[in-house]
Amino acid sequence: MDLKQSFRMAFKSIRSNKVRSLLTMLGIIIGVAAVIIMVSVVQGSNRHIKEYYERMGNDRITISAEQMGDADISQALYDYCLGLGPLVLGVTPDVSTEGPIIYRDRSTGDMESGGPSIKLGSPQFSLCNNFQIQKGRDLCQMDVQSGQQVIVLGARTAQYLFNYQDPVGKTVLLRGHPFEVVGVYRAKDPDSEYSMDNMAVVPYTLCRLLDRRSTLGSFTVRAAGSAVTAEVSSRVSGFLKGQIDGQRGYFSVYSENQDMKQSDEQNRMMSMVLGGIASISLLVGGIGIMNIMLVTVTERTREIGIRKAIGARRRSILVQFLIEASVVCGIGGLLGIAAGVAGTLLAGQIILRAVILPDLPMSIGAFLFSVAMGVGFGMYPAAKASKLQPVVALRAD
Amino acid sequence: MSLIELRQIYKIYNEGMENEVRALNGVTLSVGRGEFVAIIGASGSGKSTLMNVLGCLDLPSRGSYSLNGKLASQMSDDELSRIRNVEIGFIFQGYNLIPALDALENVELPLIYQGIPAEKRSRIAKESLERVGLGGRLHDRPSQMSGGQQQRVAIARAISTNAPIIMADEPTGALDSKTGHQVLEILHQLHRERGTTILLITHDSKVAATAHRVIRIADGQIVVDCPREEIALWT
Repeated sequence: MDLKQSFRMAFKSIRSNKVRSLLTMLGIIIGVAAVIIMVSVVQGSNRHIKEYYERMGNDRITISAEQMGDADISQALYDYCLGLGPLVLGVTPDVSTEGPIIYRDRSTGDMESGGPSIKLGSPQFSLCNNFQIQKGRDLCQMDVQSGQQVIVLGARTAQYLFNYQDPVGKTVLLRGHPFEVVGVYRAKDPDSEYSMDNMAVVPYTLCRLLDRRSTLGSFTVRAAGSAVTAEVSSRVSGFLKGQIDGQRGYFSVYSENQDMKQSDEQNRMMSMVLGGIASISLLVGGIGIMNIMLVTVTERTREIGIRKAIGARRRSILVQFLIEASVVCGIGGLLGIAAGVAGTLLAGQIILRAVILPDLPMSIGAFLFSVAMGVGFGMYPAAKASKLQPVVALRAD
Repeated sequence: MSLIELRQIYKIYNEGMENEVRALNGVTLSVGRGEFVAIIGASGSGKSTLMNVLGCLDLPSRGSYSLNGKLASQMSDDELSRIRNVEIGFIFQGYNLIPALDALENVELPLIYQGIPAEKRSRIAKESLERVGLGGRLHDRPSQMSGGQQQRVAIARAISTNAPIIMADEPTGALDSKTGHQVLEILHQLHRERGTTILLITHDSKVAATAHRVIRIADGQIVVDCPREEIALWT
């Protein structure tokens, strides 16, 4: 009997046993889809968190230093950090003040989500905080040195104040002082309501104009890669230890890589836990497949008996059952992948409000496992029955 | 040399245990080509077991069985399949049709295993079904047919391969006398026209009386083996 005939026989058998075929497929569909959805959602949320950190800025070191009394160490610290040369990409004060910013009749004081935070920044502010200029220009050294009243707006603030007009060149009022908008940053987090794009930067040398404080107590340093973050941290700590009298002031040096490492760790744990749950669901799905395959055994044992009694060879029977199981499980597996992708998209929308797609190797793995289970447990009874004397198989009922 | 040679055949279940059953207890028998033999006996006499052994559906516990001069005990599983496929046509007591397949597909099955191409196969199967009067029910499933019709599908399947031997286990058992008569007529026709060797198993002595040779079996042993003409002497 040739292969084409075996295929025809297998398809005939699938078609004439619709309920059995559908139940088998259902088991596989559920098994595959469950695994794909679960693993994908976890992977998606991991990626989401990681991206969030990346948007915030990598390799950042936050430094706070406060000294009671007269001595202002901020300029010294700033100069020291700049002096670290190739270890440091940029330094900026990290001090915020509040608006409102007013343009004509619109004031950020009326924003529902709260007004923007006004950053006092250096020309490297955008570098340290992963902002990119979309329109106009960034702060420059000249602005800082001469205390120009210029402002760069975050995307959300710009959109609120100017809607679709071009803000560059317009003058806004910040606490009653006129500022010229020189640029707008590209949106970092367009999806979020309370986004980090609701901000504005002015040269830090204007702190006396905007704020009563005359000193800048915290800085953000962007190290040249995660490899040197630790070194920069310890150098800065060393420098501050020499500058600040523990009795009259304090300082802290904090690297966000530590934070990220910790969250990575948590994600890995979560991945493992959910991977475990996924494996269990795959196993349960597999057992479902096994059951439906084994339940039809007596019926099929008799069929195998009949086939053998009228002249089927063992090989013909095995090939037929192999094709049958492969086709049913293969179709089930493909439908399972489709259901898994659909479910993943849906779950991504609901849980993360983002588009997540399943990982290809993982989907293939779930598919192969289910199909192997189906084919294995579909073949096993067939192999057993085909070895029986026909009269024994015929007696099964 | 005879077509079928049984020598001291035993089929023993649970051998050596308390509930040992000797379904066949030393059967020696030879059947020549072209004979029409009825095997008769009460239920439990071992006649079905005998047919299973003769049809290579079951292996005897002891004794030698040769078909066409070849020992069944020395044949591989595949060779036995080939014999059941090509040499023997079975008509089972319980029909043994595959419920998921329609009449035509059931009859085609042995032809599929012979590797006969689809068109020829379908033509032969249709002819066989027409021959048993089911030409109009080619695409009915077994569950849509009466017992007699199912039996006739089984007969069509048995004769479709044109096997030199037909083994029929109570082919008329489930049928009314009219259809039963038709079935017997088909077997006689095959015997007359094709010279097919017929082994007919029955508990009905009237049915047995249509055969040329009658073997009576009781408690797993042959008690009478004689030509039809002599039956009158002991019934």
